[in-house]
Amino acid sequence: MQFRSKNSAHFFINAATVAADLSVVLTEAKNISLEAMNAKALVARAGDNVRTFKPITDFMVELANDTIWLVKEINREALVLSRTSLAELHSSDANLRFAKAQQKASTAPYVETLDPIAKMAYNQHHQQSVQLRRHMRKLFELLDEIESRMLAANVVTATSRLEAATAADSYQASLEGIVVKLEKAANRIKHIATKCRHSLER
Amino acid sequence: MKVIKLHEGRSHEWLVFGRDEERPSKIIDTNQYMIKTTNHAIMLDPGGIELFSAMLAAVVHHVPVQQITHLFASHQDPDIISSLGLWDKTLPHAELHAPWLWEGFLRHFGCNSIRYNPLPDEGKSLRLDDIELQFIPAHYMHSSGNFSVYDPQAKILMSGDIGAALLPDGAPMFVEDFDAHVDKMRLFHQRWMPSNRAKKDWVRRVRQLDIEYMAPQHGAIFKGRDVQRFLDWLDELEVGTGIK
Repeated sequence: MQFRSKNSAHFFINAATVAADLSVVLTEAKNISLEAMNAKALVARAGDNVRTFKPITDFMVELANDTIWLVKEINREALVLSRTSLAELHSSDANLRFAKAQQKASTAPYVETLDPIAKMAYNQHHQQSVQLRRHMRKLFELLDEIESRMLAANVVTATSRLEAATAADSYQASLEGIVVKLEKAANRIKHIATKCRHSLER
Repeated sequence: MKVIKLHEGRSHEWLVFGRDEERPSKIIDTNQYMIKTTNHAIMLDPGGIELFSAMLAAVVHHVPVQQITHLFASHQDPDIISSLGLWDKTLPHAELHAPWLWEGFLRHFGCNSIRYNPLPDEGKSLRLDDIELQFIPAHYMHSSGNFSVYDPQAKILMSGDIGAALLPDGAPMFVEDFDAHVDKMRLFHQRWMPSNRAKKDWVRRVRQLDIEYMAPQHGAIFKGRDVQRFLDWLDELEVGTGIK
């Protein structure tokens, strides 16, 4: 992750866009949660026929809950980041304007009265830049987290396929359907998380 | 930025800042004013954000920045006061005198430290050391909450957008040929000023004042007899022509 100040003018837009994109992830996470409920009901009905599928349904519930929580966190952080990047942009602009005034007034009798103001503008800009980097790091950590959850989901879907294949014929199709839906949702979430990361890195 | 001393008296001086050569070409030229007294200074219509650096640099040729304790905004337009957010950082202990009507709007420019002193519709006075400035109502000329500033000692009326003219770059700071100048003011007043009734009211108020200089926010400054000629011209002019 690399923050480049030349892009800061567009950065607050990108951060706000990320928050909007994540609403899709939230929908997918809710779909996983729904599929997990279906799977639980199926496992309860099938009893010993699909006993090995129970830990998978537990994982799906956990995955859905974690994803919903993560998306909410990312969304909150993206909005904070958008606000922070706008504040950074304003402080950068103020810093430049005070520096320009100092330069233009270099021969003025009272130019030194600008020094504390220009210094304060410089410090404020520095602080805003530090804040911006901190929030960037936090957001990337959360995106990392969601991507790694989805990689785990891919591993689980591979295992689930094997389990579904060994289940009784009457349950096989239903279990495979659940696995396919989980896999699709995980891939879609991963795709969006990667897209969000690229938007922020642009 | 060109700076001209408009008045130098025992107790105070008036400075006008304008004709900034580095101004971005698509931005309307503006005149900013500063009154400097023994211990204070007030900036009248300090200008837009794009002009801020040039203004600040020009100001410190005449006063230490801490001496600026007051700002005045005749109305809410961006060329008048969109620099407020930066003055707010520069002069955190200053007061802004501006129409009460625009407080909630002007604060969008950034006014976290500066104290907003809302001017009532009927106007008020402000004492700065040995002088007393009068904020004269100029509502609907052109803004719905609008004031001019009169200094009875220096006999200067800062008229905001009233008397404004759209002039080419490098034009003189004072009206030199009133008859020729009229052509450069007509459209501005006919289109920007919305109300004949408001215009008559302002002219009536201002005719009661003893004015040596009438100093608008755009264009050239009127002096001596041209002030009365301007008032006569404006009195007769049909305004609000945007509605056919």
